[in-house]
Amino acid sequence: MARLWKNFVNGLWNENPTFRIMIGLCPVLAVTTEAINGIGMGLATTFVLVCSSALVSLLRKVIPEKVRIPAYIVVIATFVTIVDLFMNAYLPDLHQVLGLFIPLIVVNCIVLGRAEAFASKNSVVSSILDGLGMGLGFTWALTVLAAVRELLGSGSIFGWKLAADGATTIGVMSLPPGAFITLGILMALMNMIAARQKRRAS
Amino acid sequence: MVVVLSVIAMVSAAVLSLVYGKTSVIIEENAARALESSVLEVLPGTATVNMIRRSPDELGVDDPQEMREKGQETTIIYQGVDEQGQIVGYAFVGEGNGYGGVVRVLVGVDEATDQVLNVKILNHAETPGLGSRIEEEGFRSQFAGKTVDDPITVNQDIQIISGATISSRAVADAVREGLQDTVRIYRGGE
Repeated sequence: MARLWKNFVNGLWNENPTFRIMIGLCPVLAVTTEAINGIGMGLATTFVLVCSSALVSLLRKVIPEKVRIPAYIVVIATFVTIVDLFMNAYLPDLHQVLGLFIPLIVVNCIVLGRAEAFASKNSVVSSILDGLGMGLGFTWALTVLAAVRELLGSGSIFGWKLAADGATTIGVMSLPPGAFITLGILMALMNMIAARQKRRAS
Repeated sequence: MVVVLSVIAMVSAAVLSLVYGKTSVIIEENAARALESSVLEVLPGTATVNMIRRSPDELGVDDPQEMREKGQETTIIYQGVDEQGQIVGYAFVGEGNGYGGVVRVLVGVDEATDQVLNVKILNHAETPGLGSRIEEEGFRSQFAGKTVDDPITVNQDIQIISGATISSRAVADAVREGLQDTVRIYRGGE
């Protein structure tokens, strides 16, 4: 039980895909202009991660070593297409905002990375928990990053206008450089907290 | 090896075709409903929407061939009718080239005065936070009251959004060109 819990929280903090192992940064930089996009993208990725981890783990003894990468990609692409179609049908507004970035989940290296590094070697339950933890870790990272950028770049948060009309916003925060700057600062903060925890532990 | 991969691909294809069959109907319905509700938005007071289709031959355009080559086989104009059966106005979809691709706008025009009532951005791929501000009321409202005789050009009677010159121009182009064509078609050579 403790081990399963560890699988789950691993992705949330210790091996947070965005801030710690720093993979899948392309959507992180691209969609985090508004907090709601961060959540939507994060949850879509979480769904794909959980489903593909479960299936890859289930099929880990069937898939031959040599064709494992194409097999994983087919599995992942299938789930991504399902998300894309369902989102288009039932959440058309969000789908319009995220647009191209939904199909691009296929090439998000977190998904393939977890399939290869974890799901192909572990049981179905641990793989699902690992996918869920990684996905939610990705989601909170995206949401925090997007909230900071939205606040500084457009003066609003989750679409609610906070800054007074005509107040100067930092336009660069809405552009790609803003994503790098925010990501760097947040990463430094995470490292600071982790270092402090370590010092306290020793 | 080949067998496993083929089986995976086949199962995947089967699942996807099932999902697609289920969702494509809803997606199309959504698109149709979205466009209809957009027409209601740009033509306040509308109860029902009529679609007017015109092919280039019927229109008596100078060169139907040229229009066909541009892929404009038929022009669709949406006519808004209120509850009393009075025609409120007409709406059309205009396109302009933006910074990240085509910007599509829906423009509502008043029946009596031929003045633009409302402009709605249907879809665009402009930079979020910069070009995407063409969706804001402050920018769109500049087009209200314009007619074919106005220049509808950026830096003349349309103020650009700072940092989004190309996106602003795309909307102005879409409204201006669409308005010229649509009024000519709708009024039939007036």
